[in-house]
Amino acid sequence: MLRHLFKLIWNKKGAHSLLIIEIWASFMVLFGVLSLIVFNVSNYVEPIGFEYQNVWNVDLASNQDTVEVGGKLERILQRIRSYQNVESASRMSSNTPFSANQMNNSITYKKTSALADHYNTDTDFSKTIDLPMLTGRWYNETDLVSKFIPIVINKKLQEKLFLDENPLGKVIRVDEKVSYKVVGTVDKFKAKGEFMSDNPAMFQMIQKDDSWNSNILIKTKPGTDANFEARLVKDIATMLPGWGIEVSYLTESRKNRHNLTLVPVSIFLIISGFLLTNVALGLFGILNLSIARRKNEIGLRRAMGATEGKVTGQFLGEIWVLATLSMVVGLVFSVQFPLLNVFDIASSIYVTAMIAAVIIIFLIVTLCAWYPSRQASRIHPAVALHEE
Amino acid sequence: MIKLQNVEKVYRTSSIETLALNNINLDVKKGEFVSIMGPSGCGKSTLLNIIGLLDAPSKGIIEIDGRKVERFNDKEIAPLRNKMLGFIFQSFHLINDLSVIDNVEIPLLYRSTNAKQRRELAEEALEKVGLANRMKHFPKQLSGGQKQRVAIARAIVGKPEIILADEPTGNLDSAMGNEIINILQSLNEDGATIVMVTHDDAMAKRTHRLIRLFDGTQVL
Repeated sequence: MLRHLFKLIWNKKGAHSLLIIEIWASFMVLFGVLSLIVFNVSNYVEPIGFEYQNVWNVDLASNQDTVEVGGKLERILQRIRSYQNVESASRMSSNTPFSANQMNNSITYKKTSALADHYNTDTDFSKTIDLPMLTGRWYNETDLVSKFIPIVINKKLQEKLFLDENPLGKVIRVDEKVSYKVVGTVDKFKAKGEFMSDNPAMFQMIQKDDSWNSNILIKTKPGTDANFEARLVKDIATMLPGWGIEVSYLTESRKNRHNLTLVPVSIFLIISGFLLTNVALGLFGILNLSIARRKNEIGLRRAMGATEGKVTGQFLGEIWVLATLSMVVGLVFSVQFPLLNVFDIASSIYVTAMIAAVIIIFLIVTLCAWYPSRQASRIHPAVALHEE
Repeated sequence: MIKLQNVEKVYRTSSIETLALNNINLDVKKGEFVSIMGPSGCGKSTLLNIIGLLDAPSKGIIEIDGRKVERFNDKEIAPLRNKMLGFIFQSFHLINDLSVIDNVEIPLLYRSTNAKQRRELAEEALEKVGLANRMKHFPKQLSGGQKQRVAIARAIVGKPEIILADEPTGNLDSAMGNEIINILQSLNEDGATIVMVTHDDAMAKRTHRLIRLFDGTQVL
C-alpha cells in the first residue's frame, strides 16, 4: 500500500509540489523557532550558579571627578560594609549580574584558546552573591603580592582549556599579554540570568587603587527596605559630591533581562503560530477540495473492497507521504546547523528541535487530514461512483 | 449465486419519497450471463448497486453465494465485494494518476497479496483482455475501448465469481462495444457469473437471460 501511495504522489508531483514547499517552509520556520525555544528552555533549567535575592547593585559614576577615584571607591565600599543592614559588599566591573554590559577575552593555555566572559571583582564577591567554590579558593589579599594575577574560572572554561587536567596553579595568558594564575574554580556563573548559556567565564581580582570598576554589589539582610536605600544614597552623595548614584535590585534587573529574551521568543512564536495556522487551514482546504474531486476514486476503491478505515488510511497516508518528503528536504537543510556548528549551539538542541518539528508537522497534517479523510470514507460508494 | 427476495428501495428526502425498486425477486444461477434492461430511471443501476453491495435495500433479502448479506456491516461487506465481485462501469472509473497496471492492481491492494503476486496477476489479467503492451501507459493515453478493457482486467484480476457490468458499452462505438461483449462472453464461458445493465438490445440478446424493469418493477 505504501508503494501505491508513493506512486500516487509521484505521478501527481506537479500538483503536489507547492504543497511540499509549503510543508517544507513550515518545517524550517518551526525548526528555527523550536531551536530558539529548546535553547532557551535548556538554559533555563540549568541553575544560574549564584544568589540574587536581597542583592543590590550600586552603580557609581565619577563624572568629572578624576582625583583619587580608586581611594574614594574603596572608602565608599568600607562605609557600605559598616551598615548593619549589609551582610556583604563587593566591587565589580560594570558587567554586573543581569546587566546588558559584556566583556570578554581570548584566553590561551598550551595553544588551546577559548573566548571567556571577563569579570573584575574583589575578594568578597563570592560571599556577596553566594557563588560556591568547586575547587581551590576565592582570591584574597595575600594574592596581591603574587607574581601572577590571581583568577577564578568556571567549570566551562576549565573544560575548554584544561580538559581533564587540574587547573589549580596553572598559568594562562589573556590576549597573549598578561599572565594569570588559576586559584580556584566555580561551577556556573550565568550572569545574564537563566536564559543565558553557561559560557566560559573568568574572575580577576580588582587592585586596591583601581578606579575603573565602580559598581558595588550589596547583599542586604532580609527585610531591608527603601528607607535604607534612601539613607545609603544620601550618605554616598554626601561622601562623593557630584557623582552619579544609581541603585538597582538584582531581582528587578533579572525580570528586565528575562523580558529581553521572552519578548522576541514570544513574537517569533506568535508569527510562527499564525504561519502554521495558515498552513493548517490551507492544507485543510486543499484536502477538502482534493477529496471532493476524488469522489469517483473513493467510490471505486470502496467497490473494489476498501473499508471505511482503509479509505481514511489512504488519505492520511498520502498526506503523511507528502509531509515525509517535505521534511526529508527540510532535514537536509536543518542538519547542516549541527554539522556546521552554526551559532556555536550544542547539537543536541538542534536535534531536539528537528525531532519536535517533525512531530508537530505530523500532528498538524494529521489533524488537518483527519476530518476530510473521515468524511471521504463515509461517502456512500454508490453515490460517489455516480458523481461527476 | 445471487438471490434477491422482495427487494425494495426507497429514496427519501425531507419532502419526497421515491420508490426506486419495488418487490424485486431475482435468482441468478452460477455461470449465468444476465442482462438488465429498461428505460432511463427505471432502477437498473440501483438494482445493480444492491446486487454489488454498494447500496443497501430498504426491504428484502439478498443472498450472495448462499450468504444473507443485507445486515452485514462495512467490515464484512468490504472483503465480500473484494473477493466475490468484480465491477465494470460505463465511465470506466480508472484513476488517471496511475498507470494501467497500477489501476488493475487496485483490488489486490485490499487483500494480503504481495507486490510480486499483484504484478503477476495484473499482467495475466491484462494479457487476457489483450492489453499486455499497454501496461505502462496512463488512462489518458488510451482509447475508450482500451480503457474499458483495462476496467475489465481490473474487475477480473482478483478472480471474482460474479462480474457486475453497468452499461459497459454505453460510452463506446458498436465495434468497440462488440469487442467488450466478446470479452465478457469469454469470461462467462470461463465460469464467471455476469450481470450486465444495458440499453442495447443487440448486446442483451447475446446474454442468457434478460430482465426488464419498468418504474422500479420487474416486468420480465
